[in-house]
Amino acid sequence: MAENIKTARILKFDIFRYNPAEPDKPPYMQRFEVEEAPYMSLFLALNQIREEQDSSLQFDFVCRSAVCGSCGMMVNGRPALGCQTLTADLPEVIALHPLPTFALIGDLSVDTGRWFRSMVDRVNGWIERETEFDRASIEAPMDNATADKIYEADRCIECGCCVAGCAVANVRPDFLGATGLNRIARFMMDPRDQRSEQSWFEVVSDSEGVFGCIGMMACDDVCPKDLPLLEVYSYVRRKAVASLFSSGEDHPARREAEKA
Amino acid sequence: MNTNTTPTSLRAKSVPRGDRPASFVVDPAAARRQVWYELASGATGLALALFMWGHMFLVGSILTGEKGFNWVAHMLEEYFIAQPTVAAVLVLFIVHAVMAARKVPGQLKERKVMRDLGRDLNAYGKGFPGMARGDERFQPHVESMLWIWQVRTGMIILVLASFHLILLASNVFEATMQGGLAIDATRTLARVQGGLWMLYAVLLVCVEFHASVGLYRLAIKWGFGARLGRHTLHRIEQVLLWLFLGLGVVVLAVLAGWLPAPLEFLLKG
Repeated sequence: MAENIKTARILKFDIFRYNPAEPDKPPYMQRFEVEEAPYMSLFLALNQIREEQDSSLQFDFVCRSAVCGSCGMMVNGRPALGCQTLTADLPEVIALHPLPTFALIGDLSVDTGRWFRSMVDRVNGWIERETEFDRASIEAPMDNATADKIYEADRCIECGCCVAGCAVANVRPDFLGATGLNRIARFMMDPRDQRSEQSWFEVVSDSEGVFGCIGMMACDDVCPKDLPLLEVYSYVRRKAVASLFSSGEDHPARREAEKA
Repeated sequence: MNTNTTPTSLRAKSVPRGDRPASFVVDPAAARRQVWYELASGATGLALALFMWGHMFLVGSILTGEKGFNWVAHMLEEYFIAQPTVAAVLVLFIVHAVMAARKVPGQLKERKVMRDLGRDLNAYGKGFPGMARGDERFQPHVESMLWIWQVRTGMIILVLASFHLILLASNVFEATMQGGLAIDATRTLARVQGGLWMLYAVLLVCVEFHASVGLYRLAIKWGFGARLGRHTLHRIEQVLLWLFLGLGVVVLAVLAGWLPAPLEFLLKG
């Protein structure tokens, strides 16, 4: 750990610089040197650079505790959260690039919001019911195991690391990515959602959905929140195949709705 | 909205994402076809991988000498097991090549993006203080490169195995028409020792790699052995790879005449 460092290292940050507002200035890598401090995170180092060396450096941070999902960046070629990554774990030369696959705002700052909004719109990432929602009635109970699974999927902070590390998403802009499949799985598991398997099928099964994935599982390796993306992937695949052989009318929530 | 794009001259490749329609209209028939394609590529791959293991044991009969090899080969042909198998494997081979190739990006530029990303993820962690401490987050991600090698070995197999399959199929069906037998130890040994060992050596390495990685990925995709976890599954894949590769090297060495048949004593007397 950091206290083992006898003499503080001088870290060399190679940072990708490009401002789309100045299209005439070609992108370049700029080197900054920072003296390493105990328990220094990339968040601290980048703030120190902006404070002391270059106030024009653009990067995003909000919560500093791996909850907001805004500080995803390529750290030595691998997507990671800046706030969660300690310099003590990294070599002396640290290369930082913005996440690919997202629109660049400037330097290390990317627009993940537009991507995620578009993804949620595509998969209809919300509970859909045919019966009208009755605000006054008591919510139907859910068993613990299901609630746990849904909670697990809901831990996604939408940082975009899984998308940036995904080979398919890097060449196919419309690919849903692990976070998209996770979002789908979350509502597939939810008994309150009344969508039929058939309607899910249309969302997940095309080549921009689950069958566009080639199973390299970089998403599973780079996810900063350790979401069970492997389980999500095989779950959605099995569901897609099951829906091939179902009439589409056998969703438990739908059956109950019809009975009522 | 193409103003905020990054030129691709630098390594960080930002694919611009313009404003897209709020909801995608997906063609259900097209989605349905995707499931069948996926099932077909997986099932043919599984069948071919299992066949290759069986194939290894059948050819491995050479370890008991020419007598054992001929006994197996002649039986398979005389009882008409070999002929339909050759035809079936040829069909599976073609279907698998077409179905599996549909996921390989068509543009060289796209494949380079994949390769660069795979290399970066594979190199990450090496020599890092974090990895030296055994922190799991710093283990290099190898599987993107494994997939790229899966494509490369697949291409090599497509060429070399086509040659092998066409050669064998024409021999077998010609012999069947004339009421004779095609596969015989003397003929096989002469062929391998005549220089075909080079082709079979490359084919052996490619096939064993392609089959074991393919089975591993199949397990990942459908969630078989999900409880074991990827790490254990990968270990199993490695064991199978080296086991069959080792066996294959010995079999090929015997066929090429570099090694005497080690199990010949079994059929002596």
